This record gives sequence, C-alpha cells and structure tokens, in this order.
Amino acid sequence: MTLTRRDLMKAVAAVVVEQWAGSRHLAFGEDRLNIRRKVVLITCGGMRREDTFAADGLANIPHLHTDLLSRAAFYPVVRNSGVTSHYNTISSIFTGTWQRLDDWGKSRPASPTLFEFLRKLSRLKSEDTWLISSNKALTSQIGASAVRDFGPSYGANVIFPKQLLINAVVRAAAQGRAVKGTDRTAVQPELISMLNSDNYDGLGWSISGDASSLDTPTLGIMQQAIADLIRTSDPVTGDEFTFLVSTEVMRRFAPSFLTITFSDMEVAHFGSYSLHLAGIRTVDRLVFELSKLIQELPAYKDKTTLFVLPEFGRDLDGSTTNGFFNHRQNSDSTRLTWMLCLGDAIRKPQTIEDPIEQIDLFPTIARLFELNTFDLPGKPIPGMWL
Amino acid sequence: MIEKPLIAPESLDLSIRDAWRVQIARLPLSMQPALNQQVETWDNLFPFEQKRAAEFLHGLSSFQPDELATLTNPLHHLEQKMDLAHWKFSLASDSMTNASQLARSPYYSEWRLEVQRVFSAVETRARASAQFASTAGRLIIVVLPDALPIASIPGYKPWDSRAVEFRIDGDPHRIAELALNSSSGLPALIASQSAPCGPMASDSWLIDADAHLASLLESPQPAPTSLLQYAALKTFKDQFLSQVNTVPKDIEGTDQILAQMRHQDWSPWWPASLAGQDRLRSFVTEVFLSGNGALIFSNAFVQWAASEAIRRARPRLVVARFGLRARPKPFTGIAIFENQQRISALEDAYDPEGSAMDALILARYIWLSAQRYPEAQQTSCICIGESSRSVYFIAPEAKRPAWPSGIAARPEQIYNWMRNCLA
Repeated sequence: MTLTRRDLMKAVAAVVVEQWAGSRHLAFGEDRLNIRRKVVLITCGGMRREDTFAADGLANIPHLHTDLLSRAAFYPVVRNSGVTSHYNTISSIFTGTWQRLDDWGKSRPASPTLFEFLRKLSRLKSEDTWLISSNKALTSQIGASAVRDFGPSYGANVIFPKQLLINAVVRAAAQGRAVKGTDRTAVQPELISMLNSDNYDGLGWSISGDASSLDTPTLGIMQQAIADLIRTSDPVTGDEFTFLVSTEVMRRFAPSFLTITFSDMEVAHFGSYSLHLAGIRTVDRLVFELSKLIQELPAYKDKTTLFVLPEFGRDLDGSTTNGFFNHRQNSDSTRLTWMLCLGDAIRKPQTIEDPIEQIDLFPTIARLFELNTFDLPGKPIPGMWL
Repeated sequence: MIEKPLIAPESLDLSIRDAWRVQIARLPLSMQPALNQQVETWDNLFPFEQKRAAEFLHGLSSFQPDELATLTNPLHHLEQKMDLAHWKFSLASDSMTNASQLARSPYYSEWRLEVQRVFSAVETRARASAQFASTAGRLIIVVLPDALPIASIPGYKPWDSRAVEFRIDGDPHRIAELALNSSSGLPALIASQSAPCGPMASDSWLIDADAHLASLLESPQPAPTSLLQYAALKTFKDQFLSQVNTVPKDIEGTDQILAQMRHQDWSPWWPASLAGQDRLRSFVTEVFLSGNGALIFSNAFVQWAASEAIRRARPRLVVARFGLRARPKPFTGIAIFENQQRISALEDAYDPEGSAMDALILARYIWLSAQRYPEAQQTSCICIGESSRSVYFIAPEAKRPAWPSGIAARPEQIYNWMRNCLA
C-alpha cells in the first residue's frame, strides 16, 4: 500500500493525540473516586415472554436458559409501565423515571441519566461510561439529559456500530457498487472511509461529551471491530458488529458502566417471525459470549454485575396492532417482560417472583456504585448485595 | 340537526361535504382527524367504509347539543388534561405526529377508552335507524403452496377451538382452481348473489405473494374482483421503497414526505392489472405506507393487505396465497429495509423453512383479524396446505364439514363446502 503524504500526517497526528489522551487519562484519573464494581447492562429490543422464558420459547434461548439461568438471579415479572417505544423505554431505564419524549430521539431525557450521575458525583472519566447500540431508533441525545446542571459534558460515549455498517452498505449501493456478499473485504474500505469522514452526525454518534468527531482511541476500536467482523465466518448481523465493538471497548477502556442494546429481533416489524426468532437466538448467543468474556478479562472478572432484559414484549396475536410485528399495545404481552442478573452483586442464584419495574434498575445500579440519595419512583430490586 | 340528506355514498358534492365537516367539528378534537380524512378521501373509500361513515355522521347529527355535550364532556376534559389544544395536532387527517403525541401521553389508555365509548354511542344511535347487518356467508381461503414445507397447519398454534384438519384425497391445487373458475367459481357465485346493488369488486379479494392466482382466473372474468399480486407490483414497490427510504429521522418530516407520496403520480409504475382502479391503487399505497413489512416481504404484504381488506371492505371472499421469501443476503442483510436485489450482486436464495414458519403465523393472523368484526359470525375459513396435502377448516356450527373425522376429503367435496359457506 502506498502511504501518501496525507496518510503520513494522519498517522503522526494519531500518535500525538494518543499520547495526549494518555496524559489526560492520568491527570483526570487522580481525581476519580475509587470505583471497584463494574456493571454491564444489556437491553435487547422487544421479545415476548412466550418466545423466550415460556415452555415454547426456551428453544430460542438455550444459553440463557441452560447455561446462565442456574447462576442468575432471575426476575420473571418485570413491568414496563411507560411508553413502549425504544427511545422512551431505554431513556426511562437510564433515568429511573418514565420518560415521554419524541419517539425518534429528537430531545434529550428530561431527567439526569445514570451516566451523568456517575460522571458528576463519582467523577468517572468520559471513557468509563458507554452506550453501544444496534438500535436505529436511538440517537446520541440519549447519552445525557437536558437538565442544566448535568447534560452532555457528563454524558456517556454513545455509538451506533450497526448504523455505520448499514450506511456503508447503503452508500456503496447508492454509488452503484453492489456489494458482493461473498467478499466481505469489499465493504471494509467503505467502512473505514466513513469512519475517516469529517462528520458523524448522520450516525448520531456522541463521543466524549458531544464531540463531533471520533478521537483516535475510539477510531481504533471501530477499526479493530471492523477487521474482526470481516474475518469472522459467523453470519453478519448488526448485533454481531455491536458485540464486537463492545468487546473492543471492554478490552481497551474497561468502562465501569457499559450499556449495550441489541436489536436484531426488531426485524419483527417487517413481519418475518422466523427472522425475529433468529434475532432472539443471536442475542442469546452474544449474551452468553459476553458473560464468558467478563470472566476472562481481568478488569471485569469477579467484580462485574451483568443485567440482561428485553425492553418490552410484543403485542398479542390477533391485536389491532398486528401482533408480534409491533410493541404498542397496552397489554401484559407488551408490558411484562423478565430480567436476568449475573455476577458480583447477586446474593444467590434464585428466581424472584415479586414484580419489579424497569425503572427500579436505576436505584439498583446507583447503589452498586454507592450512590444512594435519589428521590425517584423506583426502588432497588431484591436479591442483590447493595 | 342538519336538513340535508346525509347518506350519499356514491359521491360527495360540496354542500354535503361541508355539512359533514360541521358535524365532525362538534366532536372533541382528537376524534376529528380520522373523520375529516374519510370525508376528504371519500372516493377512495370502499362501499362499506362510505356506508359506515355516512351512517355515523347521520347518527351524530341526531344528537341534540346538550345531549352530545353530556356524551363528550369526559373526553373534552381528558383532552384538556392532555393539553391537546397546544400540540402540533392535525385536524385534517391522521398523522404519525398525532399518533406519537397521543401514545406518549400519560392519559393515553384512558383516552382510548373514552374515544371508544363516544364512538360506540354514536354508532349505536346510527344503527338504530339504519338497515345494516348482512347475514350473507363469508369465506377466507388461505393457500400455503407446495414450495412451503409444512408438516401440519395448526402445528405452531391452533387457530380456533372449532378448527379441524383433514387430509386431501386428490390434487391439492385443484381446490383453488375450482374456487376461482370463471363460471362456477366463488367470485361468480358472489356476483350472482349481489342483487340489487350489483356485483362489487370489493366483495371478492385475491391477494397473492407471487402472480399465480391470476393464472387461475379465466378471462374474461364475469365477476369483478380485487386482485393484488405482489410480483406484479414489483416495479411500483421498488420505486415506492426507494422514496420511503429517503424519509428523515424526524417525525414531522416523515409525515410531510408520506403525504407527498400519497398524492404523487405513480402512473408509470403501476401494473396493467390495476389500470383505472384508483381505489385499489390507493389501497395498495396505504398498505405500503402503513408499514408492517408490506414493502419488504411478500408474505407480510399478503397478511397485511388481507387484514386491511377485511377491516375496510368487509368482503365476502378473501383468497390469500403465501409464497417464498429470499434469505437475507450475507452482509447486506443488515440493511433489510433496502432493496436487496439492488444492493447485493448475489443471486436471491430462497428460505423455504423460514418462509413456511412466517406463512403459518401470518395465515393465522388473517383469521384472527377477521374475528374482530361482527361479520365473523358468518365467516368460515379454509387453509390449504399443498405440501402437507391437508386442509384446515373453521366454520360456524351450521356450516361445519359433514365428513367424519379421519377421512380424506376430495377437492370437489371441499369446493362444494366452500359454496355452501357463501350461501
């Protein structure tokens, strides 16, 4: 490969910035409170209990059911009492209050997110809180609230790897270069080119507090994840790529609070039940792999609590909202879901039948990070060492 | 009470339109968009919808002001609590912006119940003065073609407690051939029963994931039908999809683009089979715009179009034929809302097992959607599994197949049963 003068300049700049970032890391690191615990929170689109933790659904979640349930605190009755859209539900989980925002992510959450509390009160660095999302219904606005004393300067790094992948494929096609699916390497230059472009707004990314460009470490993470994706022989799905980016972030930064949202099962909106179930099976596998990785990485081993929950279910068969396609019906099929917790903070593996609400996660995770004084409607969930 | 005659389903002159708008304006704000839209797009409504809207408005006009105020006060109060008057709320038509604002209101569930209560009260008044209900038999035929590997139709979930499955003794294709025969088929039977109004295309619907059903219809067809074939719609669908994919990530911008698309001239892209059928073209446009996968997967189109036809036209016959979908292509499958043939150079490869699983649940959804309406009491259903060589029947007690369980039914017997269902 010929190295042009511009490439050379870029490489030099990268080294400089990397060194600068490293020194900044040390400088701010001194000020940081001693956070030992880590939390990984995975939300995974809409899936009905009957397609997961029910007699007919267990075949779709072999890892969750067979490998993880026996080690988990399992909450079979978790209610979403808010607006059952992606942006509102995930914002509600992050803020501990039911959010009623524009569904398409035009506005920031109306109350502070856990990211902001952690960064402001526990003085976590920007690379300590991440949201890595497959879901195209979200925007970077979700990483920080509109509350004046908080806001983007205390927000999470928010990235949408799947959107990058989709945009690269769509852009290639729009420019008359149909993608040859057998040759994955053909897409790699397209992805790298998009990463190196000047503006990420179209991807909705927010890195390190609303910056408009990717910093060098983040760019490196994305490039590594792309390289892994091109090499893997697994089926390429958006969640697969989100998973790879997440693992790369864990290896490089070991954030204290990492949130991941998977969304392959949302193909249900297009009416394919078989692909919807395939999406559930993909998430089942990825969650299992992530749980293994947590035990392999020294930065995470034995000090991490993993929360896994669907955002909501899906509508009832025969509903006016067209059943599994959608998630807007006011029914238990849509509002009731489950949650699985693994790792450091659980008292013992058990099933806790008492109903809980999704907004209970905020005070629970806040207490794991020793943040206790919040006047919020949710309450810490039982079965945890808090 | 307005003095002009309200029931004029054929066409709306300006004075009737204005009179109806006055009636609609008497209702709480959140009930107005849907009714205004119906008046505005009157020519695109099916006869059933026109009749229902006209009778509803006639019923509304019979409410004295104080009587209507008593009925609607709780909804007015709810709208005040929701602060609806200060929303960006279109009164002219339903919109995504309207729906989104309503759905994220804390009062949404309460609001839905109130709207339903007011609507039911007005409709009950309207029904008291109208001759409405038809007692004619109705039939849904679902075809799961050979290409779909199906072991058992109710394998996933039984559709109905009355359902019964029989083996087919003979060629399963023969059933659809008999049903659609030009002179003795079911559309012809319905046409012969339709006096004094005359036969209407909206009484018989044929909805196909491919373009197979048309080949069973002999030409010229004596009976009018509404024929929608996904394969024949491909050129239009591709054009439409490419425009849908330009919508911004902004709900108001999306509403604007969708409104433009409704009024755009798509003439060069429509199939010849829809020439001059403005109402049916409008129906397809609405099916595509209302999502639910209709622009992406042929089987989703079949299900959603059939469900919408049942809701909007209350037909006597619906024939829904499912088909195969392609596998999402390696790598590009993530951009599933894109035109995969354009985006990937790879040949399509079909997914028979996945398609069969999709078709089974979607076939059941068609049946379930019919259960929401009063006509369900007269509706029978037959699902033909060509690969399983079985048929699955659901019928009101009086029309249940008389054959002993365990026997195999011949196509001619099944055809006679279908005719009996439509009596």
